[in-house]
Amino acid sequence: MSMSQAEIEALMSGAEAIEADEVEEEAPVNEQSDEEVQDNTEETQENSPLPEEEEDVNQDDINDILAGIDGIVDDESEIEQELKEEVVKGTKEESMEDLIDSNQYPLPVKNENKVVNQLNEVADDSEEKASQIFDVLSFILDENNEIQNYNKNMEEFIDSQVVLLDALSKKFPNIDVFSDSLITAQNMVEASKELSAKVEGENNKVFEAMELMQYHDINRQKIERVMAVIRKLNSYLNGIFEDDNEKPEVQIAKHISGDSNDIVGAEDIDSLISEFSKEG
Amino acid sequence: MRILIVDDSSTMRRIIGNVVQQLGISKEDFDEAEDGVVAWKLFQEKNDYDVVLTDWNMPNMNGLDLVKHIRTANKTVPIVMITTEGGKGEVITALKAGVNNYIVKPFSADILKEKLDGLVKG
Repeated sequence: MSMSQAEIEALMSGAEAIEADEVEEEAPVNEQSDEEVQDNTEETQENSPLPEEEEDVNQDDINDILAGIDGIVDDESEIEQELKEEVVKGTKEESMEDLIDSNQYPLPVKNENKVVNQLNEVADDSEEKASQIFDVLSFILDENNEIQNYNKNMEEFIDSQVVLLDALSKKFPNIDVFSDSLITAQNMVEASKELSAKVEGENNKVFEAMELMQYHDINRQKIERVMAVIRKLNSYLNGIFEDDNEKPEVQIAKHISGDSNDIVGAEDIDSLISEFSKEG
Repeated sequence: MRILIVDDSSTMRRIIGNVVQQLGISKEDFDEAEDGVVAWKLFQEKNDYDVVLTDWNMPNMNGLDLVKHIRTANKTVPIVMITTEGGKGEVITALKAGVNNYIVKPFSADILKEKLDGLVKG
């Protein structure tokens, strides 16, 4: 609601009149309290085993006691105020967290939440993981090379066995074990060649995967391009919104005519003033 | 055959190194550098490279500046630019700076082998 200074002063004078009445009403209660305290003190003194010269309590002592009581009351009200503030603060923090959790509000501006830093982190993490994937692929290649070497040795041995068994089966055609073993050895040679071909095929797939890993570098450069755009945009926006004016910041109006339908009208103001006048 | 591989991506250096190894060049015969500054230092110190394979966009010193530095000291060593920069203008700029061949990422191992073979034989 938009209110003029005169209206505010009128409201304030109404409020002061109410406060003054309240103070006047409260005064006899305070006097009564003093009397009660004095009576209570006298009763306590009658029951007290203290010596007679300490039984007289003058007005200053009563005032001291009351001051002490007032102090306690003030402390309590302060504590209540602090508690209220803590509850309000807690509610604010919770509601902010809720908004962040529900993606309605961005994360607070910390280094780890800045867009460029986040993108940089993504690029670095991706580079690290790509290197680890490359390690795995290199390991597979190395192992495959080992398998090829073992296979080659086995193939050489089986070839020699084929030659031997071929000679034996020709020399001893009636002994079936030579001819049978020759067939088995020949099959083993074929199996070894097939194994070699499969390992070779697997190696080709690994090389293919290594080639595809170039896209990691390409994507990293795309991320870097986005980072560069954000940096330039940041610089541009900072430049365009920069305030070179050295005038001090003026407190802004909360309710200005035309903002909404909640603006208080002349009739509303008059009724408010009359209401406060009645109370005064 | 001594080769210098220059790229800020360790993955790319390994990919290129792998292709080079497939050509029968051992790991001891090639060096790696992560930017133009390191590459230029290595080039000056060793001065025995038969081929330089370099990326374009790198921190500290980019590939184009590296090519210009190398050409001031050595007019003959073959240089291949391997980069994501695929524009015609970039290719012309690189060729003017002194590169002998140009490969756009992503590339196949066969392309790199072919270009290297051409440089070695040529």
